[in-house]
Amino acid sequence: MFTLGSVLDNELKSSVEDFSFETEFSTNQLMLPNIEKPFEFAQSIISLEKDLDENDNQPMFHQQKKEERKERALIKGSKGTTTLAFIYEKGTVVAVDSRATSGQYIASQSVQKVVPVNQYMLGTLAGGAADCQFFLGHLGRICNLYELRNNEKISVAAASKLLNNILYSYRNYGLSVGSMICGYDTRGPQLYYIDSDGSRLKNSLFSVGSGSPFAYGVLDAGYRWDLSKEDAIDLGRRAICAATFKDSYSGGTVKVYHIDENGWVKISDDDASELWYRYEEKEKKNK
Amino acid sequence: MAGKNCVAIAGDTRFGVRNQTVALDSNRIFKINNRTLFGMTGLNTDILTLRESFKFQMNLYNLEEEREISPKTFAHNVAQTLYSKRFGPYFITPIIAGLEGEDYTPFLCATDLIGAMEFPKSFVVAGTGEESLMGVCETFYKENMEPEELFEVVSQCLLAAVDRDALSGWGSVVHVLTKDGITTKRLRTRKD
Repeated sequence: MFTLGSVLDNELKSSVEDFSFETEFSTNQLMLPNIEKPFEFAQSIISLEKDLDENDNQPMFHQQKKEERKERALIKGSKGTTTLAFIYEKGTVVAVDSRATSGQYIASQSVQKVVPVNQYMLGTLAGGAADCQFFLGHLGRICNLYELRNNEKISVAAASKLLNNILYSYRNYGLSVGSMICGYDTRGPQLYYIDSDGSRLKNSLFSVGSGSPFAYGVLDAGYRWDLSKEDAIDLGRRAICAATFKDSYSGGTVKVYHIDENGWVKISDDDASELWYRYEEKEKKNK
Repeated sequence: MAGKNCVAIAGDTRFGVRNQTVALDSNRIFKINNRTLFGMTGLNTDILTLRESFKFQMNLYNLEEEREISPKTFAHNVAQTLYSKRFGPYFITPIIAGLEGEDYTPFLCATDLIGAMEFPKSFVVAGTGEESLMGVCETFYKENMEPEELFEVVSQCLLAAVDRDALSGWGSVVHVLTKDGITTKRLRTRKD
């Protein structure tokens, strides 16, 4: 369990063995329950929507097992969300929706899917809300410690690598994290995609979640490196709006953030449906 | 939902495949005659097939009986058609609403996919958001509502329930049936 006592022990150790790689960046593992087959239980806590599609080509008994697991799941999760981020000449744009569904029930229309890591880095939330919130918050703590110890800002590449290593050590525990680490450091605007399967990818644009195919359509069509700040923000907003329209598991409000050398700023927070009606009106007027 | 000598049926108009929304204008509520409205939810292909099937049966009934079918008889017809496919059912949940007899008493009927009928006095719900719908209708239903009030209540119930279900929305339609005829209105819903 992550207790204050164990964190303090870590601090003492690191002051003695200064700059030791292990103690500086290690975390105490979250405990597994003391039962037989702990991994099976851990993986059965959240059942994901995507498991449904994997069933289609499996033999009967495999399907039944997956069905049983879904029935016994304590939380019906789904990567039902749309988040996107892209880097361009003047910085990074991050846009997210705000819907949380549990199966097909809309649990909330006002979820914060962007978690600030520090003043110039944002992390996005997709998959299991609790998992993402905890690990991104933890990443914020580690980044802060790094800054205090090394007297310099941590790079986005290093921060994402830290999170990647932690998540890789929890591989097969049934975590569900599909997060993007977006920021601006000495190398310019940076964007990394981190997964609970242990992947870490670097690219200039990403979209994560069930609505991502729909967002990619709009994003890929309008993306250029030399966009103006206004156009870039509008592109992000439009892409999420399109995804909320097409995808049933995305919706609520559309939040857009911008990161440049001065840090991150929340640009806008619009109701997804109102935004759609507004864009429709504009289209009609243009015609 | 039933009111005083009037009934109303409301439904959304989304057609989707799993999470993707394919069409915004799929109408699932059909007029059988001036006294009966018939709505279905479920598998779209079965909805279309049964619509044609019932249209055919009603045309035949009109020709043979030389009169309009009453809602109660139609409801039994629906149940019979569904049970005939007991071991290979149509995947739909139908709702029948109408005005019965000389004094236009409201009639409501809901069946399950193999034709088990239920005749509640107040309201019937069906669809992916039926649990939410049940809750809201239970709260806002009153006896003996006039047509205008009934329209308001039904609209608000549908809008509220549809906003809590990810697979419903993207447009909705409300039909109010009184002895003077059917009024149809489309509501502006959330498109996310």
